[in-house]
Amino acid sequence: MARYTLNLLCGALVLLILVPVDVVAQNHDHAAMGHDMGGMAAGDSVTWRMPPMDMSMPMMPGMHGMNPSAPAYLPLTPQEAMALPDARPRELVTMADGDTLHLHAMMVKRKIGDRHFAMFGYNGQIPGPLIRAPQGSKVYVHFENHIDQATTVHWHGLRLDNRFDGVPGVTQAPVEQHASFMYELKFPDEGLYWYHPHIREDIQQDLGLYGNMLVDPSREDALPRVNREEVFVLDDLLVDGSGPLPYGQDAPTHALMGRFGNLMLVNGVPDYRMSVKKGEVVRFFLTNVANARTFNVTFGNAKIKVIASDVSRFEREQWVDSVPIAPAERYIVDVRFKKPGDVAIANTIQAINHFRGEFYPHVDTLAIVSVADEPVSTDLSDEYLALRTNADVVEDIESFRSSFDRPVDYEIELTLKHQNLPLPIVAMMEIDTLYVPPMEWNDAMPMMNWLSTGNEVTWVLRDVRSGRENMDINWTFQKGDVAKIRIFNTPDSFHPMNHPIHVHGQRYLVLSIDGVPTQNLVWKDTAIVPVGSTMDILVDMSNPGEWMMHCHIAEHLQAGMMLSFTVEEEGTAGSP
Amino acid sequence: MTATSILLSVVLTLSMSLANGASTSAPGLEVSGDHANACVVASLPGPEYYRIDLVPTRRLVGSASVNGYGDVYFASSPFGVALTSTGHYAYDLKVEVSGLRERSGKEYVLWVTSPSLDEIHRIGPLVDGRLSTRVEMNKYLVVLTLEDAGVTSNKWQGPVVMRGMSRSGLMHTMAGHGPFESEPCAQYGYR
Repeated sequence: MARYTLNLLCGALVLLILVPVDVVAQNHDHAAMGHDMGGMAAGDSVTWRMPPMDMSMPMMPGMHGMNPSAPAYLPLTPQEAMALPDARPRELVTMADGDTLHLHAMMVKRKIGDRHFAMFGYNGQIPGPLIRAPQGSKVYVHFENHIDQATTVHWHGLRLDNRFDGVPGVTQAPVEQHASFMYELKFPDEGLYWYHPHIREDIQQDLGLYGNMLVDPSREDALPRVNREEVFVLDDLLVDGSGPLPYGQDAPTHALMGRFGNLMLVNGVPDYRMSVKKGEVVRFFLTNVANARTFNVTFGNAKIKVIASDVSRFEREQWVDSVPIAPAERYIVDVRFKKPGDVAIANTIQAINHFRGEFYPHVDTLAIVSVADEPVSTDLSDEYLALRTNADVVEDIESFRSSFDRPVDYEIELTLKHQNLPLPIVAMMEIDTLYVPPMEWNDAMPMMNWLSTGNEVTWVLRDVRSGRENMDINWTFQKGDVAKIRIFNTPDSFHPMNHPIHVHGQRYLVLSIDGVPTQNLVWKDTAIVPVGSTMDILVDMSNPGEWMMHCHIAEHLQAGMMLSFTVEEEGTAGSP
Repeated sequence: MTATSILLSVVLTLSMSLANGASTSAPGLEVSGDHANACVVASLPGPEYYRIDLVPTRRLVGSASVNGYGDVYFASSPFGVALTSTGHYAYDLKVEVSGLRERSGKEYVLWVTSPSLDEIHRIGPLVDGRLSTRVEMNKYLVVLTLEDAGVTSNKWQGPVVMRGMSRSGLMHTMAGHGPFESEPCAQYGYR
């Protein structure tokens, strides 16, 4: 009891010390704290600004006045940005077999609040052009780079030829400023895919370089009929009154948790609205392009029918209450808007307040759907209310079922290493180990997260059997192999966190989580591994080449969390 | 948190087939309940980190040596991580207790409550020391009491035999005891 009383007294004392200091930090110009040296300038002279803080979570002692170890970076000053073209909304590009798209990564200006800022866009658009093509087709993309740094384009989820996968140093050289590269895209699978850089995603993707590919199924009746289709790109951006917070020039900031934004975006805008008629059934094609945030998407009280995910439809359509979607995942869902009025599409979560040690409800409105009194002309309610079984998907997966119980081929553990982190961060992280949530839904430690960079933090994929880590791993398979990989997200690391694991160039099934078999299978290329959990995946090694497997939290990837594997053509040596 | 935020689908762990005929291949899987509220429990241990230790209260003679725990799995979900529309986790909780003495006219009843006890949900009597249920709360207590057999009540009447706390109950509260203090949870029986 005496110990507890002492703790209470200590806590009260810390509160007395911390809260007023933090209020000062919130209310004063950051220049007084050494975070803003009086205006942003291009290149080397960009200075750090402290990230926006939640007033209910005071800064830990010893962190005032600290800056990340990496130099600060922003593309241009607001003044320089004024000369750039305005970012435009996404445009639809319908492509037939053999067509060529000219795609330019370029600098654009965006207005957030009452100020303009330099950002990036493909063809001047945020999101980039929506490429729509038929399943089985092949198209070409002539890409030119006109941003201020080297880049590539990764065609996320496509089982395309390896040399067009867009991974610098593995499948191609970086595309330098004003250089170009011709990509050839194949669409063997129907569904929703996306493209983004594979160099400094934490900067380039965050500033607007992302776009979707929508591959129409060969079979006309593959999907239920709907009244309308909406392609939703979910994102967040970390901004303060002066615009996007600077990025680390030679290493990412926010290396511990990833860069959570505080401005929610749908299709690049914070106030997305759409109008529908009463009774309309809308198909939402959802992609999460955020650096780190997993969304829990709700559509008011509407029932949600989940149809498909990354690389296929589900075995069976299914009703759900919400759509948890991790970075890089995609889901296709149908929603019917029955009653007139406004419906908020929201990110509905239980956030964590580490200071108080509690969960609290938090809702971000992502978009508003205005439902008119006028009824929809074609009532598709019956079709909407029916749940279909996708026999072709079931049949496809059935051919892999004999491999479900095969021995595990490789086992990897997700963990991290650190060096030279500021002492208060190390102390806090090592002490606060009694509870780590399965998922991080909000940045509950913005200062500690911001101050950790890729210079101090290395995220690790560790091959349990060989002990090899990250890019020292290069598994070898043969085309046609089916590999079972067990992924364990250890809760015993310095900072356990959920990881969306992406496999390039192949498709996989999530067989089980913590030994509980998945009941409704779907082909994936990215899936979330919660803290403490063990996920077994079955990878269809169908596509030859040297490929990557990595965490899709941009800062984790940049901090090392990736491995490679080779799929050899049939008949060559090597197997799991 | 509203009463609807918790969905308790009480299921005995004797298996039934999935309502829609879905098949699974892993050995030891046990499924019960209607499809909407099906509680799927594997025979494999859940994530050790989130396991709930049930600690005896010693209020009953001979109960000091009983052992119990709750394994926590994500409820079946097309998204891997199971969430409610309010953002709470949806878990399948599988409780197993050994060493309980049989007591004539009595039964051991499992309860799940909110930490502040403003929500108390009767799960049901243990069967062969086991019971499983769906829990849709992020922080909760698991309570085992001794009740008159066959009597159903909204609150327990008998003595608490064991109790446990979801791992989230150990979440640090810096407001409570300072940022560089650690709660001596081991003294309370929690590992």
